[in-house]
Amino acid sequence: NLSLFPPVRPPKKTSPKKPPTKQQAAMAEEQMEEASSSAAASGTPFQLQFDKPIPFQIKLAEWNPEKDLLAMVTDDSKVLLHRFNWQRLWTISPGKCITSICWSPDGKIVALGTEDGFVLLHDVENGKMLRSIKSHDVAIICLNWAEDEPLSRTDKEDLLSYEDRTTRFFPPAPVMPRIGGLNSGDTGLADENEEAIQAFSSASCQRFNILCTGDKDGCICFSIFGIFPIGKININKVPIHVQSSGKRTSYRLQDVSISKQVSLSRNLHQLVLLCSGKLINTDNLSLSNDLSVGVHCLHLDTSIFSNRKNELHQVSQQASSIQDLVEVVRASISMMSKQWSNAMNLFHEKFSALPSLLTAHGMESSSEDEFMSLLFGTHTSPALHQFLVSSLGEAGLKRIAKTIESAGRELRIVVSEHLQPAVEIISFRLAELRGLARWRSRFQNIGLDEKLMDGVTERVGMLVVQVERFSRVAATVLYLFQNFLSWVLKCVKILLSEPTDQVPSTNSELVVIFLKFLLDKDPIKQLLETDQIFEWDIDTAKHVEHLVVFGGFTDTKFLERSLAKQFSELEESLKEAFLMPFTTVSSQIHCQGLLPLYPVTSSDALSSTSTPASIAFYKDKDSQHNASSYSSTDYICFKIPDGSLNLRNFVAVIKDFCNSCSTSNTPSLSGFLLHIPVEYECVDLSLYKDNQVVLLLSGKSSSENAGRSWMVMLQTENLSFSQFSRTFPANYYNLQELEALELQLDTDYGKVRSVPHPLSTPLAVSASRGVACI
Amino acid sequence: QNLRLSSHVLSDFGTDGLSIANDNGSFSTSWLRNLSDASSSWHSSSTKPRKLITNDFDNFHFHAQPSPIPTSVLQLAGSAYLMRATAWEHYGSAPMVRMNTLVYATCFADAASSSELSLAYVKLIEQLAVFKGYSAAFCALKLAEEKFPSSTNSQIHLLKMQLLHERALHRGHLRIAQQICDEFGVLSSSVSGVDIELKTEASLRRARTLLAAKQFSQAAAVANSLFTTCYKYNMQVENASVLLLLAEIHRKSDNAVLGLPYALASQSFCKSFNLDLLEASATLTLAELWLALGSNHAKRALSLVYQSLPMILGHGGLELRARSQIVLAKCHLTDPEFSVSEDPCAVLDPLNQAAEDLQVLEYHEMAAEVYYLKAMTYNHLGKEYEREEAAARFKEHVTALENPRDEEDSLVY
Repeated sequence: NLSLFPPVRPPKKTSPKKPPTKQQAAMAEEQMEEASSSAAASGTPFQLQFDKPIPFQIKLAEWNPEKDLLAMVTDDSKVLLHRFNWQRLWTISPGKCITSICWSPDGKIVALGTEDGFVLLHDVENGKMLRSIKSHDVAIICLNWAEDEPLSRTDKEDLLSYEDRTTRFFPPAPVMPRIGGLNSGDTGLADENEEAIQAFSSASCQRFNILCTGDKDGCICFSIFGIFPIGKININKVPIHVQSSGKRTSYRLQDVSISKQVSLSRNLHQLVLLCSGKLINTDNLSLSNDLSVGVHCLHLDTSIFSNRKNELHQVSQQASSIQDLVEVVRASISMMSKQWSNAMNLFHEKFSALPSLLTAHGMESSSEDEFMSLLFGTHTSPALHQFLVSSLGEAGLKRIAKTIESAGRELRIVVSEHLQPAVEIISFRLAELRGLARWRSRFQNIGLDEKLMDGVTERVGMLVVQVERFSRVAATVLYLFQNFLSWVLKCVKILLSEPTDQVPSTNSELVVIFLKFLLDKDPIKQLLETDQIFEWDIDTAKHVEHLVVFGGFTDTKFLERSLAKQFSELEESLKEAFLMPFTTVSSQIHCQGLLPLYPVTSSDALSSTSTPASIAFYKDKDSQHNASSYSSTDYICFKIPDGSLNLRNFVAVIKDFCNSCSTSNTPSLSGFLLHIPVEYECVDLSLYKDNQVVLLLSGKSSSENAGRSWMVMLQTENLSFSQFSRTFPANYYNLQELEALELQLDTDYGKVRSVPHPLSTPLAVSASRGVACI
Repeated sequence: QNLRLSSHVLSDFGTDGLSIANDNGSFSTSWLRNLSDASSSWHSSSTKPRKLITNDFDNFHFHAQPSPIPTSVLQLAGSAYLMRATAWEHYGSAPMVRMNTLVYATCFADAASSSELSLAYVKLIEQLAVFKGYSAAFCALKLAEEKFPSSTNSQIHLLKMQLLHERALHRGHLRIAQQICDEFGVLSSSVSGVDIELKTEASLRRARTLLAAKQFSQAAAVANSLFTTCYKYNMQVENASVLLLLAEIHRKSDNAVLGLPYALASQSFCKSFNLDLLEASATLTLAELWLALGSNHAKRALSLVYQSLPMILGHGGLELRARSQIVLAKCHLTDPEFSVSEDPCAVLDPLNQAAEDLQVLEYHEMAAEVYYLKAMTYNHLGKEYEREEAAARFKEHVTALENPRDEEDSLVY
């Protein structure tokens, strides 16, 4: 028996105009008062702050956990960020259909899940995309970003804290090279972006946090800091063991679709999720029936995250910045290759006119011969004369010289500002990781493998050699080009009988070398391509083999590879090395328990994902803070679809599901059902701090209450939870056992406010700020 | 910062006044060299099954054309790598030392001066001795001596003596160790203020030899005078290591309380100079000192060991690693709240790892300690067969230590 607040008087509107059309959704922000505040006495629970018409339909909305910021996703997948005073900060259109949204625990990053399986991380400051990570193949339905509670830190862990030495010995990590390099005029935009990325990698890695992403097909991925993938679990393949009367039965879920809700507890110990699917008995396949298709609540044991959080934090801190730097190296190589081939294209385009001119003049000599004879002063053939003076000309020559010079400058900048520092920091960080890998008792069980790390360290050493080789070849080639082009310029001036005192002096020996080896070859390009195998002489081979005795690289064939090839080998071995923690951690996530909630017929299985539901963990008030851990209670609140379980218009609240899974001897699982008055339907619901439930009720269009809606907040403590047994698998769904309470909008158990608009999803409540947006 | 800038010397070559026209005939020489090689190589390369590409400017290819970059520039660029390797030795990142030295030895060997190249080899051999044991190091040393005859190259000679001394200390051949120490003393000039580095090294080694011979007061006296010298000449790295040695001397002479201030001073010295590896070993010594003060300090010692472990395991040599594993096991064993039967792995794993490392190092004294601890643990666990085995190994090492039979071997390698 439930009594609620008396109906309150209609709220004062701060905005006089009502939304004129149905397309315009009304957004109202309401201040939720503390449960026992004076507002209740004055008769107005939920103080209305704003009531603004907006021109789009809102699909998703989420409050920033730290600041009064509201992120919203519209139906056409634009993302808006509003302040509490309704000032809009930014709007972005990622160009993809967005299916889920959540904030990072520090409120600095908003994570978006897209229909094609990408997670996009955007900066709260300006909406710039920081990362785009493809972790799923299908739409990401739910995101949950949980951070380790600082309260659970103890003295012991502080001593185990690990210092990342990189900042002490290295300048800030290099960023991706930009096209245009230093001479580009518009530095503004790109600079900001770089700073953002920089800030992202340094600031967001201070505290250990994990982003869980769940997709439509039942895969859940975990990534540390939202960027370093650390685990993946497919609900379709997870064995579910159920103990019933001493017998152990294995089940499996089929055709899983994760509903909107996945929640990782704040101590990172357990994960609760709602999903729909068909439950099949793997021991006896014939036992499954129609009833087995339904919405189930699963409890996954993720204690590996909390037990090994220090180790995971250290590894992911190093590994994620290594991955960033690998991207920098990749970008540097591709950019150098692009810049250089552009310059070379121009050079070859201009100089290819000479052979055709030679044939036109009926001469059989090559361009090399012609230049040679020009160099040694024997004669200037008419073809060469024509080429130098008219088809190339002084202006053309200067253009080539300028292009090659600027390409060379780009190359130098990229090598010295991006490539070399990036490779150096990668090798330092890998060395640190290798040290961690040697601490077998701590790091082996999260999959940091010593052998693999050794292999990667070896590869990165070879890459440093390759970078050195490349920079030397590049310096030589550029110098020769410079020398050759000024010689040609001098020749042109002489042919035109112009003074040559402006032209720098040249070395004729180097011109010969250029003519013989560079006119139709491109050694820089060779090093930047992956499919080249280089010849190298016996002396060098001996030298390298000799070095093995002194502890050199055991793979003596590395000089055959090009820079790009060596880099791709490094990438491969890095991937392999980082896959180990991923698979090791994934294999340690188990299913702890299953609770079938309600059956669904296959026809409305699709719509089940949109059924309102909310899962939250609350810290136990009575749990004593014994340093290492604290217990938390999970609350699961969801609407039962009409017709299922022969119930209509019911909302169920269940608590202590996790604890009932782990300790089977004390059945603490309890809950209640709440019957919504028939003339209303529950549009959305959410759990709110300290065990409260917020419901949005909208009048049914058929009833006289159409257009009138209510926002209700219930104190679950005031409601009677009744225990119910988990008789599964004997009886699938036993939610009916629960006491059904009648929700009356005129009694005194919670707070109620009427809203003069028809309501639709979403309801966004913010526990830290005490605000809701409907 | 400066070292990083120095690597720009190569990439910036040719952009500004760096380009010098060198017509000193070096080009003609390399042309001639290539000419003689060319005829034979044409034949051999054409028969190779794979399609190979020649890069005419690659310094690893012998057809490579003479480079316009003068040798002096290359030497400058190369010594940046050697400097980096040395810097990392102090800052404590072993893989970085190896990598930078290898880059030097691979890429700059053709342009390097013999003293710098031999320095690179010395660094590589030192790494081998610390991480792979003496047999690998002496094997490499032989090759290096062929390359750089030791009569002309003092660095290689010095390295040989260092390695021999370390090995003699580890094997317990104190007479030989003393002999090498004396040789060290002779190497340096007798004028004061000259050859300071050599002199400090000699007295450091003398103090260590005395310590190994359990002549504590003499060792402390040598170390104290050494500290004064280092302080006078502002040798900070040596300062820190001498302080650590003093702490060690006090620990071994059962004066843990006296050792504590030295270890703490060394630790804070290292902190201010970013000498991370030395700091980690100072922390380890500190843990040992606390442990020596009684079992009620085991918890504190354990946390100190945990603090230093990532650094030591990642960058420390075999000896340091083994020492830290032993201290870890000892911390557990002395902790009154710890019970071996509940978690035998916590003690046995580190001990096994330490035994493995010490085997390579031929360090009898510490190996004996490991097997003693192992035997004790197995005794607690009631595993008699394993206990007997460990005890037998313990005895082996103790006899080897007490009766240095083949002492003359120590000079042979």
